[in-house]
Amino acid sequence: MAKMLMINADKCTGCHQCELACSISHEGMFRPNAARVHVFTWEVEGFSVPTMCQHCRDAPCITVCTPGALTRDPETGWVNLDDDKCIGCKMCVQACPFGDAIWDEKLSKILKCDNCGGDPECAKACPTHAIEWVDDLVATRGRKRGFAEKFKQAFSE
Amino acid sequence: MKVKYFANLRDITGTKEEDWAKPEATVGDLIRDLVARYGHEFERWVMKDGDLWSLVIILVNGHDVRQLKRFATVLAPSDVVVIFPPMGGG
Amino acid sequence: MHGWIGKIVRVDLTSGKITTEALDPVMARDYIGARGLGTKIMTDEVDPKVDPLSPQNKLIFVPGPLTGTYAPSGGRYNVVTKGALTGAIAAASSGGTWGAECKFAGYDALIFEGKAPNPVYLWIKDQAIELRDARHIWGKNILDTSDAIRAETDDDAKIACIGKAGENLVLFAAIMNDLHRAAGRSGVGAVMGSKNLKAVAVVGTNGVTTADNAAFEKIVLLARDKIQKHPVGGTGLRLYGTDVLTNILNQVGGYPIKNGQDGYFATADKLGGETLAKTLLKRPKACFSCIISCGRVTKVINKQFAGEGEGPEYESSWGFGGDCLIDNLDAVTKANYICNENGMDTITMAATIACAMELYELGLITKAETGGIAIEWGNAEVMVELTRLTAMGEGFGKKLAMGSYRLAESYGRADLSMSVKKQEIPAYDSRAIQGIGLNFATANCGAAHVRGYTIAPEVLGTPMKVDKDAVDGKPALVILFQNLTAALDSTGGCLFTTFGIGAPEYAGMLSALTGVEYTQESFLNCGDRIWTMERQFNLAAGLTAADDVLPPRLLKEPLKTGASKGSVSRVPEMLPVYYDLRGWDANGVPTPAKLEALGLSR
Repeated sequence: MAKMLMINADKCTGCHQCELACSISHEGMFRPNAARVHVFTWEVEGFSVPTMCQHCRDAPCITVCTPGALTRDPETGWVNLDDDKCIGCKMCVQACPFGDAIWDEKLSKILKCDNCGGDPECAKACPTHAIEWVDDLVATRGRKRGFAEKFKQAFSE
Repeated sequence: MKVKYFANLRDITGTKEEDWAKPEATVGDLIRDLVARYGHEFERWVMKDGDLWSLVIILVNGHDVRQLKRFATVLAPSDVVVIFPPMGGG
Repeated sequence: MHGWIGKIVRVDLTSGKITTEALDPVMARDYIGARGLGTKIMTDEVDPKVDPLSPQNKLIFVPGPLTGTYAPSGGRYNVVTKGALTGAIAAASSGGTWGAECKFAGYDALIFEGKAPNPVYLWIKDQAIELRDARHIWGKNILDTSDAIRAETDDDAKIACIGKAGENLVLFAAIMNDLHRAAGRSGVGAVMGSKNLKAVAVVGTNGVTTADNAAFEKIVLLARDKIQKHPVGGTGLRLYGTDVLTNILNQVGGYPIKNGQDGYFATADKLGGETLAKTLLKRPKACFSCIISCGRVTKVINKQFAGEGEGPEYESSWGFGGDCLIDNLDAVTKANYICNENGMDTITMAATIACAMELYELGLITKAETGGIAIEWGNAEVMVELTRLTAMGEGFGKKLAMGSYRLAESYGRADLSMSVKKQEIPAYDSRAIQGIGLNFATANCGAAHVRGYTIAPEVLGTPMKVDKDAVDGKPALVILFQNLTAALDSTGGCLFTTFGIGAPEYAGMLSALTGVEYTQESFLNCGDRIWTMERQFNLAAGLTAADDVLPPRLLKEPLKTGASKGSVSRVPEMLPVYYDLRGWDANGVPTPAKLEALGLSR
């Protein structure tokens, strides 16, 4: 089984702890703009969603990367970025359909989630399990069970 | 005596209040019988290390038992006992 | 600098000139930030006798050193000024995300001086700061203001702004940020309106650094763990919100009803956090870096009171509820939304309506004056309508806009305003809980519960239980809470973390973050210094010991119901002990020796 970051947006409270944990761990300071995860909050409805690189199997960013800085590790399934090979052409920024490859002019580099080498800071920091580091096959178990319970309630005597 | 529940104790006991018919000499006797009736979930929000959890608010006719004799506080059949788990602040 | 950025913005609204200056490290060390730093600047730069609504007053937006870091629930900021409602020093605290954005833009404080010739807003993007024309936005509510400004600046700009209430100088107008968070009390919104300042919009792309990342992480993880393990901060507030207090206060007989006439409401449960969670609550919400999530995202579908937003908190639920003899949660929530949408303090609004209900019952306010509205106890529709009229500046709302003290005084019955220093008393009956009464009487901003929240030990029993009806030891307890809170408020932290942590953890976080050494003692000493400096400002503004007094009702009319039936507030007995323990003379004036010890001698 492989691990993945699972987003449970219904649990997100908009606290931004994930962004802070990510930026302090990667860049040594509290700077949400340097985080590889971002939280969007719709203020009127009070709904928040964290998003980060989805480590696609058929990653458009890898396809467009001419120096081969972006590669996929066949064991973990992660899309890894080698900063030393990166030339900053920003083609990955253009290609990622989720907007999760970010160019930061201040640091002069591409920011992309790397799963923190297997112990993601954002998942540890999240107080409500809106971001979880889980085995892929059980990632949606809680959601499926919750929905299955509606059938149980509908059919129970 | 009347026993009233608040916050998540309402979900645990399934009720907001009940008429408790069994005579209880003290608050401790009442709580131990409530734990026997409602089980571990009730106990973990009211007890700590075998005694009344210091953050729990139990009122007898509006008086906080922590200012009286805690579990040794004497009860009368006409008393109203109110139990709050530690949920409140602000 | 670490934690602090080291830069302050000064905006002269009269001339339009914008300058930046360095934050003095000694000032930062001694006053920390937020409430403390803002009050120090007011003390140094503003004549305490100024008219709060004149250009001579200043308005300071100020986060703390913790703001913008992952200190648990450490994302707050203050708005400090001379309060329009009270004529006393005011430091309204707010959460949300605005304060953090101000730090990321690169600033420890924004000082607004003078008055703009026409409505303006300030737009900050990192080092780029400009005043922009707000004439086309003037008159808009909080949502429309935020949308309009984002459309011409940045989709993700964080906005702190006023609505019609601030523009019309409602004396208890608030400043709103993140749509639903309020720098609520003392009329800071009216001061903003008096300066023709509509909003402060910020985008910040920089960061906040620490002096020692590893040490800060260690103390933060420890603090976070303690907060999560405490049932109130770790579970209760997220499940039920602050409104869980409704039933607690009611059952101990300390829930003020009918403009504070008594302390128990038979149907209070309909207004409580348990009911809110089952009916109107959609999900919890957190402020920046907060792990407690006490915010309530709610929606009312009942057509009569339909709306959506955040809240109500306990104070708002109490005020629009039991204090007005109303038990309709939909109506209470609607009134809360109207206050948020237009920028008004819910506590003052609600207590002013309750006062009006009593004046109406006595025949002092008549239907002729109210345009036919019968201001009757328990009338939910009238309560909501009066809130709306006040927000819009229409009809009898124009009179309510002055707050309960000036309203009652205009009918010769100032004694019926349940206020201290003209600021309305929050949701706790001083006759059932002695210590909180002393806090209400002595808080420098006027009656305010968060200034010295002795409800925690007196009612909840955290960190330890004290007898709410006793007076012995209360002055010392109140002083401890007031000093700790003043210091904590100045860090940018949230008071709810004190369900779990206290001075040792805050001193530890500040030391690791800033590199400046704080101990538990020096941290509390900062709090004493800040409190005393606030007192000095008030004394110079003309307030005296005669203002450290509760309304006659609480001193002379015994409670009729509940376990503390027959009690009155014993503040007059406790006050001399309080002054003495604070190192003040019998008139409540800090002695020269006390000022010297705190480094406040001029």
